[in-house]
Amino acid sequence: MKIEEIQRIKDEALRELRALRSLSDLENFKVKFLGKKGSITQALREIKGLPLEERKKTGAELNQLRQYLEDELESKKRELLFLEEDKPLDIDITLPGRRPLYGGVHPLAKVIDELCEVFTPLGFEVVTGPEIESEYYNFTALNIPEWHPARDMQATFYLQSGALLRTHTSPIQIRAMLARKPPLRIIAPGKVYRCDADVRHSPMFHQVEGLMVDREVSFSDLKGVLSYFAREVFGEGTRLRFRPSYFPFTEPSLEMDIGCVICGGEGCRVCSNTGWIEILGAGMVHPEVLRAVNYDPEQWQGFAFGLGVERIAMLKYGIDDIRLFFENHLYFLESFK
Amino acid sequence: MRVPITWLAEFIDLRDTPEKIAEILTLAGHEVEEIFDPYRKLGEIVSVKILEVLRPEDLREVCLCKVTDGKEVYTVLTTAIDQVKSGQVVAFAKPGSMTFDHRRIETKVVKGYESKGSFVSPFEAGVSEIKDRLLIFSEETEIGKSIYDLLQIKEPVLEVAITPNRGDLLSIYGITRELHLITGWDLKVLSLDKEKLPLISYPGRIEIQDTDGCYRYAGRYLRGVKVGESPFFVLKRLFLCGQRPINNIVDITNYVLLELGQPLHAFDWNKIRGGEILIRRANPQEKLTLLDGREIELHEKDLVIADREEALVLAGIMGGESSGVSESTEEIFLESAWFNPKRIRLSGQRHRITTESSYRFERKVDPEGIPLALKRATELILALMPNIEVSEIVDQYPCPYQPPSIDINLRKIHKILGFELGREKIDSFLFKLGEVKCEGEAYSIRPFSYRQDLSLPEDLVEEIARLYGYDQIPTTFPKATIFSARPRSDLIFNKKVKEILRAFGFYETINYSFINPGSIEALNLNPTDRRLDVIRLTNPISHSLSVMRTTLLPGLLETARFNIHREVENLRIFEVGKVFYPAKDLAEEREFLGLLLMGDMVKTPWEGKKRPLDLFDLKGVLEAMSLAMKLPLQLRPGSEEPFLKAGQSFDIYLEGKRVGYAGAMKKLIIEDFDLKEPLFVAELDLEVLVEPYFRAQKNITVNKPPKYPSTFRDITCVMEKNIPFEAIEKFLLNLKLPYLEKVDLVALYEGEPIPQGHKSISLRFWYRAEDHTLRDEEVEKIHEDIAKGLFDHFRAKPR
Ligand SMILES: [Zn+2]
Repeated sequence: MKIEEIQRIKDEALRELRALRSLSDLENFKVKFLGKKGSITQALREIKGLPLEERKKTGAELNQLRQYLEDELESKKRELLFLEEDKPLDIDITLPGRRPLYGGVHPLAKVIDELCEVFTPLGFEVVTGPEIESEYYNFTALNIPEWHPARDMQATFYLQSGALLRTHTSPIQIRAMLARKPPLRIIAPGKVYRCDADVRHSPMFHQVEGLMVDREVSFSDLKGVLSYFAREVFGEGTRLRFRPSYFPFTEPSLEMDIGCVICGGEGCRVCSNTGWIEILGAGMVHPEVLRAVNYDPEQWQGFAFGLGVERIAMLKYGIDDIRLFFENHLYFLESFK
Repeated sequence: MRVPITWLAEFIDLRDTPEKIAEILTLAGHEVEEIFDPYRKLGEIVSVKILEVLRPEDLREVCLCKVTDGKEVYTVLTTAIDQVKSGQVVAFAKPGSMTFDHRRIETKVVKGYESKGSFVSPFEAGVSEIKDRLLIFSEETEIGKSIYDLLQIKEPVLEVAITPNRGDLLSIYGITRELHLITGWDLKVLSLDKEKLPLISYPGRIEIQDTDGCYRYAGRYLRGVKVGESPFFVLKRLFLCGQRPINNIVDITNYVLLELGQPLHAFDWNKIRGGEILIRRANPQEKLTLLDGREIELHEKDLVIADREEALVLAGIMGGESSGVSESTEEIFLESAWFNPKRIRLSGQRHRITTESSYRFERKVDPEGIPLALKRATELILALMPNIEVSEIVDQYPCPYQPPSIDINLRKIHKILGFELGREKIDSFLFKLGEVKCEGEAYSIRPFSYRQDLSLPEDLVEEIARLYGYDQIPTTFPKATIFSARPRSDLIFNKKVKEILRAFGFYETINYSFINPGSIEALNLNPTDRRLDVIRLTNPISHSLSVMRTTLLPGLLETARFNIHREVENLRIFEVGKVFYPAKDLAEEREFLGLLLMGDMVKTPWEGKKRPLDLFDLKGVLEAMSLAMKLPLQLRPGSEEPFLKAGQSFDIYLEGKRVGYAGAMKKLIIEDFDLKEPLFVAELDLEVLVEPYFRAQKNITVNKPPKYPSTFRDITCVMEKNIPFEAIEKFLLNLKLPYLEKVDLVALYEGEPIPQGHKSISLRFWYRAEDHTLRDEEVEKIHEDIAKGLFDHFRAKPR
């Protein structure tokens, strides 16, 4: 075996190594050079006849070459195996996946949660109250005696027992004040009932009531808290308008409008062309109401507000029919998640 | 309330547009809901050209005109034969429109000739009193245009929502007074103090017997009146305010009511026996036939105006049929009174009547305006019939009105408002509300008699804020005690339940709290079942929403039905809401959870993995819920609920208490609800779960990664088919074996070669020691014992 011969094997091996393209090429290469009958193995066997000095040198060279080729093959193999895994499967991966089921909360529950979350960081405690109420809590304690024309504002469902379905969440104010000592801050969501039903009214709907009583809570503070609320819910740039109004259980009273979110104030059907949409009623707790729960109006004052959840949900999501909320059609419910 | 701008202008110097006036009122708390023109609401009354006038021989007093508005051709029959000729442009009311005098225009057929629409006179169009000819335009007038545009008639009317505390604004004059208060525009004060005519003495007698019901009663007698149609300006204003005319006398009383807010009533003097007017409580069982023809039985708390024999009028609410003004009336008695608002309100409610009059009495009329209204009505009547004789005004006023004296000081004003308002501002506002006495920082105010809404210092603060402008008030944040309560446990729990169910693919629904009683009856409940004892509404919207729900089931089924009829066959829904039971105190309200599953389990449709839901889908949900909440809910097979299939249902227990049910609904019941199988439901009382839930969260056993390996052994055996798996589980649990970590059911098989009535069951037993690796001998020893025990106890054979 000549040195030239070894050099030739070496050149050939390195050239073929570079040309390897597949695992079978790789296997053939292995057999050709490194297998039992491979040319390198063969050469190693053949150098036995060489003189010692030359044999040592050539042997070392051949072994080095063998080691080099084995290492290269190993990394080439890994490379090819990686490529192998990138090969497309015989399957259409654009087919829909196996989806775990995921349901949704009702949009009204979602809005109620959001509204409560605006107030709880301000120290408002979430409370609830009974839906079947007495005349006393629903009306009388709220400064709406039997003969009061303000009762016309709330068409009431009566029960055979003489009780009624609460027409607003305001009775929770009374219950909360009786159960606690001032100062207090509560936020009270819940179902309310009025016996009118048409496209714009549902006989059952939801309100959120807020109440804050402390020593120095003022009308300006009420404006501040409501402005904060409106911007949290409807966005920073929301335009606000406050108007005087009348509720028997607050004095002074107000109503808050936001700039129409549908037309941006230009005037449309939703805002009856006024550019404004009424969002809530509020006011300073009436002294008669404070007296009804044995709070001294000289020492304590506060504000209360009430807002309609459906109305806010309709504005937020652009819903034009209140009945959708209670029909619970899956397509509708799926919109929210 | 309807407020015509042109009427307002009679009393105040209006310095802005109707739109701006609407905004001023709205921002002062009197929301203007709409600005509209009643003439435009009549419908299409337009100019048309007469194309042809036809005189068919079989029509005598009428002729047939073909007219066009430029788009369509109409044929119209008219009696105005000598007025119409072709080429003329006339006013034409299209079918569906309404004339000024409330005639609905329709399409009619006379002797086979169809007449669509009608020509109208200036009076019918509401533009003048002329009735005897058609409203004709010059021939070059544009056709197809609204005649009101052509005549430039604009009558903007504001629809104002007046809050119940402001009865003083239920009149044109009241609105002008308020506009003056807000804007300072010049008010033309209504002054009727001096009546320049000889007055005859009053020929009758008036006596207020019920001084609680009637605070002031004034009236006068008029002789020689002629009842007929009202003059055009009265008719027009009634029209603008949406009121129908009756006759000149009644119309004038209504006119004064609209103008001044004081209800008046006109009696036929000859129907008042003895000329004696008594204001008294009704007698028991006394009857009265009202103007609308309805006979009512009066209540002792009702206030009536009576003569010496019987009640003539339900005071302040509605007149009687017999004593009203008729065509033949020549002598009248005009009443102007101030009644107790509460009495009027309660009386009206008792008899379910609300009138323009009672609406105003309920909301308090101006006690000092009573004679004024009489004088105004007299003035209007005299303008029509200058030759009548008028009596003096008789005025019974036993206890003259005393305005409250409201004390308020600057400190209080600032404390409520939260900011300091200049002294001059406050002074200027307060002086517009009544008589003011001022000492240092303290004020004492006696509001004007028409401002009966003002009685407390807080009322004055609102007035100050209102006149200052709500938008001018600063926005601040409360300086208040810091505290924050933890969220209530039941609310946290409800949220958790909703979260879990959402993660299981359920959608939350909200159903009405009132349901159809039939839907509970359809559940096949035992007659003594509590859920049949429903709370009923006395005034439901409809029978299908007439009782309070005692279970969430009907609502869920209704929602399922709504969905299935609208392309949704597969449904997983829940509701968290209250059910209601009768109780001594109001009602017992309990928060429930209801679940409903319907249709197929659809995984990936293209893989063909679609199968109808079965009981284990429902059971799995409940078990997973139970694990997620760490609540050991127990499902006892065979629910007692009669609407569930006993063999495919469970009662749900927690700590030995029944808390709900779950299972497949009976097909016969499902079909009653217009639904189909498979359909599974569950209902749980959430309130009883709250406390155990929070308790469970405190007792959490923490598992660590294993230190030593586990090993398992399988047992496959054949046993009788009817041995429930639960029994095997229970048996193994009771063995209390060392090292046994858990047992899995790995296979269940029935059929060849297993003998009939038997099943093959494979269990995998997992063993692990905490302090060493188990040796085979240790495991074998225990496992053999288990196998033997199992075989013996269940008479099973190894397979
Ligand atoms: Zn708009």
